[in-house]
Amino acid sequence: MKVLKNREKSAPFNLSKEIKLLPGYIILILWVAFTAVLLGWVVAASLSTTADIFSGDILGFKTGLHFENYAKAWVSSNVSVFFVNSLIYAVLSCAFIILVCAPYAYVLQRFEFKGRKLITSALAGTMGVPLIMVIIPLYTLVAGAGMLGNAFSNRIVLIVLFVAIKVPYTTTFLMAYFANISSAYEEAAAIDGCHPIKAFWLIVFPLAQGGVVTVTIFNFIAIWNEYFLSLLFVNSEKLRPVALGLFSMINGMKYSGDWSGLFASVIIVFIPTFVLYIGLSKKIIGGITGGVKG
Amino acid sequence: MKRNKSMIWAFTIPGTILFLGVFIYPIIRTVIMSFFKIVEITDPISKWEFRGLGNYADLFNAPLFIQSLINIAKIWTIGGIVTLSISLLLAIILTSGIRGKGFFQAAIYLSNVISAVAMATMWIQYAFNSSYGFFTTFFRIIGLESLAKIQWLDAEHKFFALLFSYCFGMIGHHMLIWISGIERISKEYYEASGIDGANKFQQFFHITLPLLRGILRTNIIMWSISIAGFFIWSQLFSPLTADTSTVVPMVYMYTKVFGAETADIISRDAGAGAAIGIILCAFVIIIFRVANKVLKDDDLEF
Repeated sequence: MKVLKNREKSAPFNLSKEIKLLPGYIILILWVAFTAVLLGWVVAASLSTTADIFSGDILGFKTGLHFENYAKAWVSSNVSVFFVNSLIYAVLSCAFIILVCAPYAYVLQRFEFKGRKLITSALAGTMGVPLIMVIIPLYTLVAGAGMLGNAFSNRIVLIVLFVAIKVPYTTTFLMAYFANISSAYEEAAAIDGCHPIKAFWLIVFPLAQGGVVTVTIFNFIAIWNEYFLSLLFVNSEKLRPVALGLFSMINGMKYSGDWSGLFASVIIVFIPTFVLYIGLSKKIIGGITGGVKG
Repeated sequence: MKRNKSMIWAFTIPGTILFLGVFIYPIIRTVIMSFFKIVEITDPISKWEFRGLGNYADLFNAPLFIQSLINIAKIWTIGGIVTLSISLLLAIILTSGIRGKGFFQAAIYLSNVISAVAMATMWIQYAFNSSYGFFTTFFRIIGLESLAKIQWLDAEHKFFALLFSYCFGMIGHHMLIWISGIERISKEYYEASGIDGANKFQQFFHITLPLLRGILRTNIIMWSISIAGFFIWSQLFSPLTADTSTVVPMVYMYTKVFGAETADIISRDAGAGAAIGIILCAFVIIIFRVANKVLKDDDLEF
């Protein structure tokens, strides 16, 4: 595949071939241009004023670039709070997901034991179960135990849920990865008297780094943008993640009327996943095109 | 291998506990709850009132629930056909030897990494805005006044606006799935048929499409899973009350279980909420079964 790609890249310019592809280029360019206009407008609106937005003239910047919209959104609209919350939820959840799922996937892929088939097929099966099937009993359980009562336990509940919800997907994804790692390494380690648990973390886990990084990017984006579980399980404004915070801002718009501030918040919320995407888009796209089975 | 036993235990227990606690136990309990009347979601079992299939019967007699099923069915079929065919078209273009493939791929997939709330805000507050919005401005510039005048977010056009913006965001993901399938088809098929005189269209219909059956199945399953969780877009297009043009089963369930401003229309009942989950899940299972039967690809190898 790699060889082929290089050949494509170095293919000399061939006019008749490029003309044949012209309709394709036009469609792609229009598509990307449309996306760029939409996103570009939001960026421009976030730097203009509410009055300019409503007069339809945001590109004039008659009163200059209003970077203070960002400062205002960050401080007085509480975006900083939502942002930090999402960061805490996403980072901790992603770490725990790997801590639980990497060993889980490893033993499920490597060892024959009772119940292994049952677990792997149950994990694969639940990937298609809609969230709506599980949230009612989960809410009863959590609220009944009074765990939404204080901020600390409420955060713990959210993180545990985010971790647990991602177990089937992450484990199944990593199992495919471990299948490609030769067991010769562990065998050699075992001969040298290395305990299998130690051998896993020190030898096999680092070899699976590529898969771990890819799945973590997906989990991070999903948890950063998570909305439904937080809507149900977040009990106080101070604990809201970005998606929920943004939604409450939108609903408050008709009272505050600070539209440029809203668009600034949209951009702030968008930046972390965008930066991640710019840096890692090859890995993200490879994770989808490589991980799909027909 | 004896020492492995302790490791198998240590490595499987945390994952299995989380899995049992967040999937298996709630699924079983949801099935049971769907046969009871449960006014408050936190009510103890002693307060549950058995009503057999009563919840299901009531739901299928509730006009708003029926409307939510119709809406989701429309989103699944119309949106599915549009999303899967446009994403296939883009995938074919991208695999036809175009320059800048990586860039276009990444740019089209971009909307999948943005928060749905941010995406929907962009569409609702900008693209569909009737005074300074993208479509109004665009149609005015090219002189189509009648199209420029459309209020995209009124009761009549809201569903279309919702469907359009949702599909636009989903296309990138399905496009990548198609690409993964197309790239696995051996180049030899095309070379051989090219020598035999087949043109690009014949190659597409006789080689590409039949070999993409398995990938079509994957796409349909992925699409169905995202539609079963359809919630946030509906809520953003109708933020305060569940409105008939955009209501979907999950929004109906949310109102039924947790109560909202529409509490006067829908009486609270967690049991009925559970029944909605079962109904949705049943649809998903049926779709999986049918897709697996119709699109079996075991007779094809590549």
